Amino acid sequence: MPDPNIAEQFDQCIKCGLCMATCPVYKELLLEKYSPRGKVQLARYYTAGSFQLTDHTRDVFACCLLCGACSATCPSGVDLREIFLAMRESIASERGLAQPMKTVVDSLAAYRNIVGEDNLERAEWLEDLPGSQVSSCTGDRADIVYFVGCVASFFPMVQGIARNMVKILKSSSSRFAVLAGEEWCCGYPAAAAGAPDHLAELKAHNIARVRELGASTVVFSCPSCLKTWKEHYHTDLELLHSTQLIARLIEQGTLSLGHVEGTLTYHDPCDLGRQGGEYAAPRKIINSIPGVSFVELNGTASQSICCGGGGNVETADPMLSRLIAEKKLAQIKDSGADVLVTSCQQCVRTIKGAARRTGDPVHVMDITDIVVKAVDASERKIKQGGPSTAASGRPAR
Amino acid sequence: MLSQNVADRLRAIVGDKWFLDSSEDLATYSYDAFLPEFIPDAVLVPSSKEEIALILKLADEYRFPVIPRGAGTNISGNSVARKGGVILAFHRMNKIIAIEPENMCAVVQPGVVNADLQKKAAACGLMYPPDPGSMSVSTIGGNVALNAGGPRGVKYGAAKDYLLGIEAVVPSGEIIRVGGKVFKSASGYDLTRLLCGSEGTLCIFTEIIVKLVPLPAARATLQAAFADVEDAARTVSAIIGAGIVPTTLELMDRVVLDAISDYAGARFRSGTQAMLLIEVDGEEGSVGELGAKIEKFCMERGAVEIERATAPEEAEKLWAARRSAFGAVASIRPNCIVEDATVPVSMVPAMIKKIVSLAETYRLKIGVLAHAGDGNMHPLIMTDLRDRDEMTRIEAALNEMYEAALGMGGTISGEHGVGIAKDRFMTMEFSETTLGLMRGIKRVFDPNNILNPGSFL
Repeated sequence: MPDPNIAEQFDQCIKCGLCMATCPVYKELLLEKYSPRGKVQLARYYTAGSFQLTDHTRDVFACCLLCGACSATCPSGVDLREIFLAMRESIASERGLAQPMKTVVDSLAAYRNIVGEDNLERAEWLEDLPGSQVSSCTGDRADIVYFVGCVASFFPMVQGIARNMVKILKSSSSRFAVLAGEEWCCGYPAAAAGAPDHLAELKAHNIARVRELGASTVVFSCPSCLKTWKEHYHTDLELLHSTQLIARLIEQGTLSLGHVEGTLTYHDPCDLGRQGGEYAAPRKIINSIPGVSFVELNGTASQSICCGGGGNVETADPMLSRLIAEKKLAQIKDSGADVLVTSCQQCVRTIKGAARRTGDPVHVMDITDIVVKAVDASERKIKQGGPSTAASGRPAR
Repeated sequence: MLSQNVADRLRAIVGDKWFLDSSEDLATYSYDAFLPEFIPDAVLVPSSKEEIALILKLADEYRFPVIPRGAGTNISGNSVARKGGVILAFHRMNKIIAIEPENMCAVVQPGVVNADLQKKAAACGLMYPPDPGSMSVSTIGGNVALNAGGPRGVKYGAAKDYLLGIEAVVPSGEIIRVGGKVFKSASGYDLTRLLCGSEGTLCIFTEIIVKLVPLPAARATLQAAFADVEDAARTVSAIIGAGIVPTTLELMDRVVLDAISDYAGARFRSGTQAMLLIEVDGEEGSVGELGAKIEKFCMERGAVEIERATAPEEAEKLWAARRSAFGAVASIRPNCIVEDATVPVSMVPAMIKKIVSLAETYRLKIGVLAHAGDGNMHPLIMTDLRDRDEMTRIEAALNEMYEAALGMGGTISGEHGVGIAKDRFMTMEFSETTLGLMRGIKRVFDPNNILNPGSFL
């Protein structure tokens, strides 16, 4: 049974339906049960005891990106996203998890990652780094821990993000470290699937490893890992997103950004933007890069439309995820930009995957990709002996 | 309950995938944005007029109700199966068939979302004026069935004023076409406009031809604060009375402003008892002039502060507060009853006075929101359906309110429709003779009363 606070939310819902205008899933699936309002009503009836959960109810609630656009739109202040998470929990406890979600969640307990591989493989991406970089992030003392996350660790398409982060962190004066094979999944898939009990072990382990290193800050390139730590880990460690750290480094003059040509647009990841409140840092970074021409998407910041990669939907219904990603591509095309920058490896994978499938020529980059590109451009300029066109006005360290 | 035979035949018409009878589907098609809920026997999602024709023929033969439903955002209880039957959903009939700038019209399927039509029309430099609060979700079919209006109604009117033609299926299963791409016609009874506002009781729309107007080049928005709600109300009547026609002329009283403040954190100047939100559109030059004229009007009639938006983002900010009004007010108590009494514009001050006094007399919490420029009141009654005593007092207040509105030459519903929300007041507005004529029309279209039975008649 959802807790009483959630039940109070129902009283606020006046069934106006405005939430339905912002739901990417409803736009694809058309039927009321998949809409935010429909799911609130199902939750209401279930809580009132007039509706019995079925496996199909589980499927219905699985088709939700947890993007929060509905909560942001609701004129009555209903937190629909919280209701949907609470329902996933009730459904999981009453009917268990569906496949393949069950396999993923079981994998967290057995392997400590989402892919069901030996967790030591998390260190795989480190092997492509130059030796100096590897040694600087595998010591036993650090101020900052870079928590890579399962996706950037295990999926080749986005392992570059982790490598970029190491390069960026190396330019800062802080000692940093990655946990490599000792990093365990943050627990997001379990929390999002309605099985938050799985987090206890994961969070105890991750926090202990960070404490052992003596670090006081954890930086994440994955907005969902960050959100999970913020919501579930109850720690006083400083938790930063890569964009927040990078913006700081730019402000301090630590990062020297050279010229990069291109018309860029930026996709606000749901867990960083709308759910995390961070819209400024990524834009500050992009606008600090000389040569870049920046255009906003039509539907930006708090109005950003989910790429289709959220809420475990990629696992539960890959076709739905794909359809939503294709709508994102159309939105990007409308902006006239030839480069899409975002700051979430899941968004990168989802959008890039869709672009590859449809043959869309858009160039999809993570924010760390473009930062490293700008840093490299600055270093090249310096090597050439010319004056640096760096935004900071100081030579790179 | 549908018999197995009927269910099988319906499945055969729309296909298994679009005959919905899971508990999740039945539950989520049991409501609209009004209060009472009724579980339907099934939900059908047809893709064509041919399928709809077969469905109605079957319904007429076996006498089961068919309730057409757009987005289910109406607040008159028009999309619920109050006597059982099947819900007819238009999710798959959502194509904009054509936008024809040379004929200043668009041809759409009933499931097209109002906002989507607005977007496509704007790309052609055109506008579909009806802008109900639900426009981001509500469908053209629903808008036409309810003769929807919106804030722009002051200048532009409602759905009925932008309806050129309809293709529909009547209960016997035959398909009719009335109207066309012409702006005027003097042939036969005007069935096109009869169907507008018929609340799904006469036939099922399968194609709608709407009239478009040129998208205005410029807009000016201003917000005027008044220390006295009567000053605001009189300013409304004066503006219209002087022949100035703004695009929108919205009024919010202190109760509503307080709700918005608490909810959205918007700050209003202290001492403000009422606010007018006014928009004008037209050519660049004339818009500025008109705005200045209205500003002067407001100042002369007691406005204590005027805020003018000079850029689209500023206008958005002013509108955002207005748009949040309903949700903000509705979140104060468990339920919010929205009424729709509409009076001639010259009666706006008197009607507002009446509403305020009824709130006092019957100890009710009522906020006054209004499309004041066309006399359309939206008293927002904050209540709790479980409070029987309060429900009784509300009923008494409504009776008085509608009597007053009708006495002033008004109507019980300006734009929300009657449905099951206001059907008990129909005898107040119409004589038995008139109602007899309406019932006769219903009988001619739908002799077996299969379409939306129990709605307003």
